[in-house]
Amino acid sequence: MAANTLRLYLTCIRNTLEAAMCLQNFPCQEVERHNKPEVELKTSPELLLNSVIICRNEAERCLIETSINSLRISLKVKQADELENILTKKFLRFLSMRAEAFQVLRRKPVQGYDISFLVTNYHCEEMQKHKLIDFIVQFMEDIDKEISELKLSVNTRGRLVATEFLKQFI
Amino acid sequence: MASSEHVEADNAEAIITRIEHKSRKIETLLKQNKPVEALKTALEGSPPKTKDERCKSANWIVVHRAIMAIKDVDSLFFSLDPEYYDILMKYLYRGLSTGDRPTCNQCLRIHEKLTEKAGLGCILRSLADTANTV
Repeated sequence: MAANTLRLYLTCIRNTLEAAMCLQNFPCQEVERHNKPEVELKTSPELLLNSVIICRNEAERCLIETSINSLRISLKVKQADELENILTKKFLRFLSMRAEAFQVLRRKPVQGYDISFLVTNYHCEEMQKHKLIDFIVQFMEDIDKEISELKLSVNTRGRLVATEFLKQFI
Repeated sequence: MASSEHVEADNAEAIITRIEHKSRKIETLLKQNKPVEALKTALEGSPPKTKDERCKSANWIVVHRAIMAIKDVDSLFFSLDPEYYDILMKYLYRGLSTGDRPTCNQCLRIHEKLTEKAGLGCILRSLADTANTV
């Protein structure tokens, strides 16, 4: 049942991204010779499309905002307890700090979300659109697995350390 | 300026009465076990041609009731006319933004089938239409 909702959630996001990723070059209207991602500035309403929020449940959601030359995708990852909260924050901060390597990652997540992607028309020109979408959907699938793995390893390590430490008191 | 506001308020009241009327019709259709007819009735005359948030919320509540009553998604698309696809897609996105688990599950299910039927153009039209939002 949970696997089915995950599949539907990812299909919905994939379809929305395929429709929304129609980007073209658009030089800045206010300042000449400048070229800025319009979705970040939001100065001209005629260049922006409706933003959509796709929620899987109360904890997980995805915000997709498009404009004429850029697209911003923000994800909120499921965090069941305090430990997952800390792990998610640290792990995603680790990734965001290395945003240069990912090219489409944003250095700071949008307010209220855990991680954000910024795709511009230049990315669409250099890279294939369907591969970009595959990357983002794959990222969403892997994030959950990574966080669970991290949580498992923290618990295992904690148990090992505690056993070893308390052995001296037996 | 004041007169146009007055007209707008009048309009809003008229729209809300129409929505209540629609809501009663839908309740009867649902009791007769006709969820597809109920959804068609709910989507007719949507979105309300006004900027008033109360009208849009009232209409959304009615459409939400009809959407949640649908059990079989495949049969829905056998009988729903294509002219309703675009407006249904807009309401599905509104449903997905609520974050309420049963609503989101239902909307995700219908969204998948609707995209298969109507294609990506339907999604793009709902994203691009900034004038008639729901």
